[in-house]
Formats: sequence, structure tokens, C-alpha cells
Amino acid sequence: MERHFELELQKLNKRVNKMGNLVAEQVHNAFDALLRGDTELARLIIEKDRKVDKLDNKIDKLCQSIFALAQPVATDLRLIMSSLKMNNDLERMGDHAVTIAQKIEGISDYPDILAELHMEEIVKMTDLIVNDVITILNTRNTAFVKDIFELALSINEKTHAVTARIIEEMMHKSEVIVVATNLIIVLTAIERLAGYSTNIAESIVFIVDGKIIKHKKKNFDNQEAAAESHIGQGDEPGLDQMLPPISEATPSEG
Amino acid sequence: MKEVKIVTKDLTLHYGQKMALNSINIQIPEKEVTAFIGPSGCGKSTFLRSLNRMNDLIPSVHIKGEILIDGLNIYEKKIDVVNLRKKIGMVFQKSNPFAKSIFENIAYGPRINGINDKKKLTEIVETSLKNAAIWDEVKDRLPDSALGLSGGQQQRLCIARTLAVQPEIILMDEPASALDPISTGKIEELIFELKKNYTIVIVTHNMQQAARVSDHTAFFYLGELIEYGKTRKIFTSPDIKQTEEYITGRFG
Repeated sequence: MERHFELELQKLNKRVNKMGNLVAEQVHNAFDALLRGDTELARLIIEKDRKVDKLDNKIDKLCQSIFALAQPVATDLRLIMSSLKMNNDLERMGDHAVTIAQKIEGISDYPDILAELHMEEIVKMTDLIVNDVITILNTRNTAFVKDIFELALSINEKTHAVTARIIEEMMHKSEVIVVATNLIIVLTAIERLAGYSTNIAESIVFIVDGKIIKHKKKNFDNQEAAAESHIGQGDEPGLDQMLPPISEATPSEG
Repeated sequence: MKEVKIVTKDLTLHYGQKMALNSINIQIPEKEVTAFIGPSGCGKSTFLRSLNRMNDLIPSVHIKGEILIDGLNIYEKKIDVVNLRKKIGMVFQKSNPFAKSIFENIAYGPRINGINDKKKLTEIVETSLKNAAIWDEVKDRLPDSALGLSGGQQQRLCIARTLAVQPEIILMDEPASALDPISTGKIEELIFELKKNYTIVIVTHNMQQAARVSDHTAFFYLGELIEYGKTRKIFTSPDIKQTEEYITGRFG
């Protein structure tokens, strides 16, 4: 039996996927513009953020009306709650793409600096994590969620290392302070993009499996600690218990 | 989970040849609210009525298995059904006050249990009506006919009547389905208050009501207990697909 509000849920899924694709494109273009010093593309990204904001409002309103009119439970409840959260995360990711775009002009005067700092690798990893999480969002296949967490950790470590190096440079050369500050802002945006990607991955696990895995990443980067902290926690399994091994996970419907 | 009040072991019930309940095993905790949900004909009301042997009144009913209340099998021969029903009160879908005064509706149960002292009866009536959250509305009209009360008030009067004989368990079969949203809200608030002192089992078709008032939810389908768990879990991530389909309205 098809429920009349099924159409509303389909509409919501479609809009969230559209938001995801739009933000992934904004992020990808921001990185492309950063690496090529393309200020014209940067301008277009800033302009296009209006579309992201508009879609953000539309998704919020749709969730609000479904909550009010359909009193969703179980999988529907999880979908709508998570859609609201993911929408918020995606909108913030769009803002970070804009932040990166805004800093390109200040960095493009130093064409070799990104290569010197090995930032190209971080940028590619972050482009990949965003792209991957949007694929998971579109397919609802949670098999690769672990990869997202691992990649985010790796991005974190690398951004911290590069930030430390930039601060070191700033202490010795006052003439680099402006570009260095811009780079630190870009690195912070990158770190946040990775963070929001993990948030979205967590939301998708909640939709598909009904499991809350946020705040479990500490367990994730230290398996021994995860095993220890699991003892005596009753129904609070560690991340490894909560996520299926990649080989066992199956794509979900819808 | 609190202490277990009601346990059923492989409870199977037939109406003649037709099986209505198939090997139900459940543990209902004390002083909490347990809701039974499921589509019409799933066996939830039959199961509820088995808990105070109301099905004894239907000649074609055959029961196998055990229902233990505080560890005692209520279908044992030595069990006095009148005493059992004193311990396990019941509230029905349609309020059914006696055609007597408000006072007499409440005093009736204690009186047939041998309490005739006017002062004691007055005390019981007042406490019961207060505990059923209807005292303020009826305190000045206790000699008036109970039939003059509104539907919602009549239902709370029936709850007060149940409380007057000091039960331990209250079974409620769709207690608010015939009431408007305000009266329904009052009954739901009352259930929340009553669970401090009573074990409550409620059958409801209104799933939002089950979600609002109960601590545990049992989903029945075709005479089987499909899933039983904490209400919070059942309404966010049920384990069984059929439960998920039923509570989200995808059933059928």
C-alpha cells in the first residue's frame, strides 16, 4: 500500500541528494580554483552559494511540514531527522567552499606556495572524501563509511602538520603573515569539510541501520581503547560492532 | 527493567477451531505502562482479556500455556476469579458507569467487598476520584447520576471505580478511542500518574498514543507476538520488518 506521504519522502530524498551534488560541485570547483589560482571561478562559486542557501531553506520547510502533518516514526523519523542534520551540514560545507574561494585571490600571488606545502595532496583527499560521502548519500550504501572516517583522520593529521609548518614560517618571516593567514583559513575550511563529511556518513548509518555512531570515532582510531571502553557499557557497542565489515555490508534499498 | 509482574509462557488461545493467540511469551514489568498494538484481529484484545480471565465468559475459548501474575498461575483451579479481577481492574473502550450516583459508582466495589462504614466509603470515594483526576469536577455533585457526566468524565469515573478496589494491575482496552483530544489528553496524563502505583497494560489502535504513554510496546500480528521492546526503540528503530511496516503505515 503506497502512502500518500511517500511522495513527500521521495521529494525530500531528491532534494537532499540535489543539495549534496550541488555542494560537492561547489567544493570541487573551489579546490580546482585554488590549485589553479582561478579567481573568476572563485567568483562564480561565491555567486552560486545563493542556490545552496535557497535549497537549504526548501529542505528545512519540507521536513517541518512532514513532521507536523505525518508524525513520522521509525525509518521515516530517522530519515527526516537525518535529512535536517545533513542539510545543515551540507549548507555549512557550501559556506566553507565559499571561504576557500574568497581566499584564492590572496594566495594566487604566491603560485608555488601550495606545492611547497604539499597541499595538493590534502586538497585531493578532501575532494575525494566529499565526493565519496555524497555517493554514499545518493546510494545509501554504508559499506564504505569506515573509509570516510579513516580518510577524515588522515586529512586532520595532514592539515595539522601543514598548519604547524605555516605557523613556524610566520614566526620567522613577517612578510608571509597575510598569505599564511589565508592558508590557515583554507586549511581550517578543509578540516571542517572532512568533519562535516563524517557527520553525513554518521547520519546515513542512522537512516539505514538505526545506529548512532557519532562520538565513537575515538574508539575507531584506537581499537584497544574501543575494546576496553566497551566493557560494562551495556547496550553501547563500539564502532566495530556497529558497522558491518565491508565485505558483509549490502547496499540498501531506497 | 523493573520487577516482572506478569509472565506468559507459551500462551495459546483458540476460539473453537480458530487459533487467536499462538504461543505468546512475554514479561510485563511492574509499575510501568505496556502497550499492545497491532491491526484489528491480531489478538491483542484477546490477550489483554486473558490476563484477568475475561475470556472465561466465552464458552468456545480454549487456553493452553500459563499466565503467571506475581509468580502464580491464574488459570489454576484454586484461583478465585472474583479476587483475581479485584487485583486486576479493567477499563473498556466505551465508558460503562452504573445507572447510579457518582458516589455509588465508586462505593459499589468496596461495598460488595464488605466495607459498609460510611466514613470509610467516603474516604475511598474521594481518594479514588482524586487519583483518577476527576475529583475537582464532581466533588459538588456526588449524589448526581453518573450518566450526566461527559464521555471523558465517565471514562475517568470508570477508572476511579477500578481504583476503588485497590487493584495492582489495570488493563485498558482502547480507553480513549471514543474521546475528544482534550479528554484523551487527560486520560493519557492520568495513565502517566497511575503508573507510579499500578502496572498498566493498554491496548490501543492509536500508535501515537502508544508512543506517548507507554514504556514498552508489544506488536501483535495474526495471533503472534512479533516484537516486544522499549517503546523508544520500537518507534525509532524496530528490529523486525513487520513492526516497521505497521508503525509507519506501510502495512498490507
